[in-house]
Amino acid sequence: MAVLASAETRPQYGSTLRMATRIAPQNLDPGDKTQLDSCASRNLTRLMFETLVTLDDRGRLAPSLATSWQAVPGNQRWQFSVRRGVKFHDGSPLTPEAVAAALRMANPDWSVSATGDSIVIERDSSDPDLPARLALPRNSISKRSEGGTLIGTGPFHITNWQPGKKLSLAADEGYWGGRAFVDAIEIDLGKATRDQLIALDLGKAEIAEIAVEQSRRAATDGRRVVSSAPVELMALVFARDKVTPEDGKLREVLALSIDRKSIRDVVLQGGGEASGGMLPNWVSGYGFVFPAEQNLTRAQQLRGEVKYAPTWAIGYDTNDPAARVMAERIELNARDAGIRLQVTSNAQADVRLTRITLASVNGRIALAAAASTVGTPLPKMLGVSVDDLYQAENGILQTQRVIPLFHLPTSTALSVAVKDWDEDRDGTLHLDNVWLGGKP
Amino acid sequence: MNGPGHCAVYNSPIEEMSFPRPGFSSCRLAAILIISLALFQHAFAADWSSAEQELARKITATTGPGAISLQVVNRSSLSKQDTDEISRGLRAQLEGLGARNVRPEQAAATVAVSLSENAQNYVWVAEIHQGAGEPSVVMISTSRPDAPAFVREAPTLTIRKLPLWAQSRPILDVAVMDEGATPTHIAVLDPEQIALYRMADGRWQLEQSLPITHSRPWPRDMRGKLILRQDHLFDIYLPGVYCQSPSAAPLSLVCRGSDDPWPLSSQFALGGFYAATRNFFTGVLSPGVGKQSSTAKFYSAAPVPRPSYTLWIFAGVDGTVRLLDGVTEQTVRLNWGSDLVSVKSSCGLGWQVLATRPGDNSGDSVRAFEFPDREPIAVSPAIDFAGGVTALWTEAKGGSAIAVSRNAETGTYEAFRLAIACNQ
Repeated sequence: MAVLASAETRPQYGSTLRMATRIAPQNLDPGDKTQLDSCASRNLTRLMFETLVTLDDRGRLAPSLATSWQAVPGNQRWQFSVRRGVKFHDGSPLTPEAVAAALRMANPDWSVSATGDSIVIERDSSDPDLPARLALPRNSISKRSEGGTLIGTGPFHITNWQPGKKLSLAADEGYWGGRAFVDAIEIDLGKATRDQLIALDLGKAEIAEIAVEQSRRAATDGRRVVSSAPVELMALVFARDKVTPEDGKLREVLALSIDRKSIRDVVLQGGGEASGGMLPNWVSGYGFVFPAEQNLTRAQQLRGEVKYAPTWAIGYDTNDPAARVMAERIELNARDAGIRLQVTSNAQADVRLTRITLASVNGRIALAAAASTVGTPLPKMLGVSVDDLYQAENGILQTQRVIPLFHLPTSTALSVAVKDWDEDRDGTLHLDNVWLGGKP
Repeated sequence: MNGPGHCAVYNSPIEEMSFPRPGFSSCRLAAILIISLALFQHAFAADWSSAEQELARKITATTGPGAISLQVVNRSSLSKQDTDEISRGLRAQLEGLGARNVRPEQAAATVAVSLSENAQNYVWVAEIHQGAGEPSVVMISTSRPDAPAFVREAPTLTIRKLPLWAQSRPILDVAVMDEGATPTHIAVLDPEQIALYRMADGRWQLEQSLPITHSRPWPRDMRGKLILRQDHLFDIYLPGVYCQSPSAAPLSLVCRGSDDPWPLSSQFALGGFYAATRNFFTGVLSPGVGKQSSTAKFYSAAPVPRPSYTLWIFAGVDGTVRLLDGVTEQTVRLNWGSDLVSVKSSCGLGWQVLATRPGDNSGDSVRAFEFPDREPIAVSPAIDFAGGVTALWTEAKGGSAIAVSRNAETGTYEAFRLAIACNQ
């Protein structure tokens, strides 16, 4: 957990924290799988909703709404003791029955039951990662209030919600973990990073998101910038599996032709890390074994072994300022290797520049989620060792459905008024620990 | 700060003392520290042999016995000393399995070992090149210990800082329960319990722990004060809760909801009402300073006795310092932090105010000041802490203070006794 400031001066209660975010969710349901997963969306969710357990910076489990847990041998049946004295935002108590109902809703294939002060989860097969799975935001504990509103137990409750536009939150006085220091948080949704920075500079906001390519400039301009570890994979994802050996060979040509270093230096302004693997090295520990260097000679040699190469449409997200430039650089690199790409904003592309957010600090869960995003099944893991994880990741890369490019951090600019900034390595924010001090 | 994670009760480990015992002269203390550090390093010297053996076995399963060229690169937080040790150990293990290390041009296989790490473990990866084919990759992981609590040597100038206790859970206060040259009994107050430890065979051993019962959630930036008593063992003041030990055995703890004022000093009868859901005193005083029964909200207070009155100094929530003498209230900006106490000594004017500093850095410091009149004069260099000071209370006899800081690197809470040393 990265805490920028410490308590030379004790935290002060009060004030409203004003911030904005690029994302513009239409609903706040943590279980809604149609919403795009991102660090920003998770951090929004965590303000209002909580999970049974959390993962710390090192992937270790920590209690949250569950105080303890145990598995029977075989890791198929898990029991979690539900914390007492916790209340939903409507004042109703958190009960094992409410927890079980929420988890059943989020995981229809799980058998979840309430028993005494606990809940019991039974899986069809051994699941040693089940507690870590419960730390995922989609497994947040929520329920519908009598008015039909989704409510949670988190440190803040909703006071105003305009889908896609604005979210206003107030500190929950009875929060079991202690009332948050700030009284309220005002969040403008769907704001471009440029507009966020202007609001920060004008004193209209205390927190602004920064695109990775802007972070170095923002810091040299004297702004207070904090960054997470790399938590987002930028990758080329093919729309279809390879159909012939020649198709696979052309995909390898494309992978070998990309000059990640130059793209990082120019497009990302030195931000992020070039990568040939799906998981960032700080999560896997072996990411460096996947080559990320350009090898044009080898690419041209392989290209020479294939007679016909179709023109591939390379798509990008029009809301991502860096994506178009990056796609154009890749198109130039590929041309040098004899591959023709056509840059398009059309959704129907052969290969797409895609951002994949790290789902968890737990490598197995993160890899499974990334595989699902890419559209490949996760190879069966024989065990839980780092070697098993490597074999699974290597298996996904062998499908040639994805070409990893960069691992990117999230960056945030802060007003000097923001004290005790508390951010985990994976970009998880703890805004309930933040307080606002006097401005100089 | 006391976020939810710090209220965790799951698998809370029994803490280990890693501090030397206080009460020695500075030279002796320094000598003990050096010896302790040496022993400490020895005790925590990692045993890499099983990991070396496992990786060597995996490598030779690919290469078979014969001539290999081994290269070891450190990509982790391991020290050079550890890296060299692992490199030597790995070569020895490989040779034991028949893979002898030779120059690259003589080798049938080249093995590039990277000592890497992930969020939880060290990950050692061997990339094995044999012939012109794709390299084989084998790897193992071995647990990465938590960084041990960093022991800071006490400065030997004016404020003497003696380590007392360290633990991962927040420490609200510590009381030294005996009066010998070195503490042999201490009580450690945290949000969920008070734990009594006794020194035996050079180690602190838990004698008893008493849980603290409370019906309402604790506030963030939780604070609490432990006060030793003469007719019974101790009183505990917590936000909205008061606990007392009985006057007769067996030792127990009775807690009840209470908004009684907290004693602001063991030497002077002044109490302050504490805001039960916040981290500050409301400003209402009991019985008051002379005619003054209230001041602005404050974090801490310190008395400085004068021949005919007592000057009370309050560290306000608004960042100002207020001086109350029973008649007038003066507001000043002193560039101090939120916590201050006063201690009695045989040096200087006899009473010094210890104050934290303001700021947003990862460390904190405490400095001693005297008040010849209404302007403070620094009388000691600042002593540094490895993180923010989270608690600063005067001890029962008034001659020393307890400071708790949260180590910014390890997250561990560390409690120290602070005392003024003359002519040093």
